[in-house]
Amino acid sequence: MKGKYHIVVQNNRLRYELDIRRNITIIRGDSATGKTTLLRLLEQADALGEGSGVDVVCERPCRTLGGADWRIVLPSLHEQILFIDEENKFLKSQEFAEAVKNSSNYFVIVTREDLPNLPYSVDEIYGIHTSGKYHDLKRTYNELYRIYSAESISKKQIPEHIIVEDSNAGYEFFKSVCDENNIRCSSAGGKSNIKTVLGETDKETVLVVADGAAFGSEMNEIYQLMCHKPNIKCYLPESFEWLLLKSGLIDGKTVQDILSHSEDFIESQEYFSWERFFTALLTEYTKASYLKYSKSKLNKAYLQEKNKQAILDAMEGIVWRTLPPLVKSCRPLSNPPSI
Amino acid sequence: MLNIIFGDMENAVYHPPTYFDNQYEDEWITDPLSVEMIKDIDKSDVIGAHLIESPVLGSISIKEISGGVKTLILMAFDESGRIFNASACGDNCAKWIAEISKRKDLTINLHHVMDFSAVPDFYAKLLNTGTVVHSYEEYLNEALRIKER
Repeated sequence: MKGKYHIVVQNNRLRYELDIRRNITIIRGDSATGKTTLLRLLEQADALGEGSGVDVVCERPCRTLGGADWRIVLPSLHEQILFIDEENKFLKSQEFAEAVKNSSNYFVIVTREDLPNLPYSVDEIYGIHTSGKYHDLKRTYNELYRIYSAESISKKQIPEHIIVEDSNAGYEFFKSVCDENNIRCSSAGGKSNIKTVLGETDKETVLVVADGAAFGSEMNEIYQLMCHKPNIKCYLPESFEWLLLKSGLIDGKTVQDILSHSEDFIESQEYFSWERFFTALLTEYTKASYLKYSKSKLNKAYLQEKNKQAILDAMEGIVWRTLPPLVKSCRPLSNPPSI
Repeated sequence: MLNIIFGDMENAVYHPPTYFDNQYEDEWITDPLSVEMIKDIDKSDVIGAHLIESPVLGSISIKEISGGVKTLILMAFDESGRIFNASACGDNCAKWIAEISKRKDLTINLHHVMDFSAVPDFYAKLLNTGTVVHSYEEYLNEALRIKER
């Protein structure tokens, strides 16, 4: 399934509005915000239809999934939006992750657990808040908000140390830039190692560069570290390949159009996470050019001065300079389409 | 004293709200501590052992209070010896977990690193390593070293 879907769920007292645009969406946050109530309404609507008194408006069928028979039910569901509550312990299993990977459905999961088996985006972690009464002043209106917005974790700072999730092409690029500008650069060798590397840092100003498209499972812990240690910041583009595509180096118009509404191009059954799509897109668009991309080793053409500057310029909120101070500011999330 | 165990464990209730619905006692609901927690977290008033007044949902049954408050009430009053999964609680429940642990020895199970930064003078023992932490900073650093979730 691909595309963005607007969902309205309402009864006589409550109205929820949600926009879902990727295969995996996480809902968490404080207790008593209405997460379980939302799922209960969906369950009643699915079981009893109009007779439930619950209205569900969406282009795609919306229903809940859970219980011991999930593995029997899921293969029979296609191109639907499935809501799963936190009571289901199978959420953290590898078996469930494999089922999501091969599914044509979108999954909306209520949980505070990190679920490292699932590659979900930092942009698709939401809380629910009440934004007031609806027109009739009887119905309470609830909507989703992004928990990790750019503004909530962004402050201008000059990094002394850049930690890159990647150990391949992305790391090579940032290592080269850092070497030129006397900034320490290290590879974490994977997203789950970033916490460990951060734990070894002292009071130096650190910028973490990671693939936001699949970094959701790390975000609760990294965010707590960031709140506690103001010297730690994050820059989280969708992926390094997304950054190269966004730089404008490769076939401007078509690529930029895809990037501006990627959800309309990314088939969830084919791409478990968006970073895989952007890697495939970059590889395809550069295969016959001097910019031919390989994830395992950086093509040196990307380090040519003009190309390198175009890539650095694409890092919104980060101003790179050839003379110190190199970095004037940073924004952690480079792709906040609507916050 | 608050004891925390990260990760899967025997004798833990993974989804306390379901356990609550089947095991709660009327007197738990009208205890002043429960009344205060329901007011603080759910913004609702306890009318009696069988009725809650919610500003959003109107008059509701006890089974319709939030999963976080159900878990807190179990932590405070259940005497079965079971350990409850505090990942069913939002961060707005953290101060109440700390409060309950001042009144009794409390062991909780966590499947994520709960944010206790709002709790003044936070103090706990992390049973995975046996480490006693005396602040949120110590808790966070130690919790991030523990692999189990």
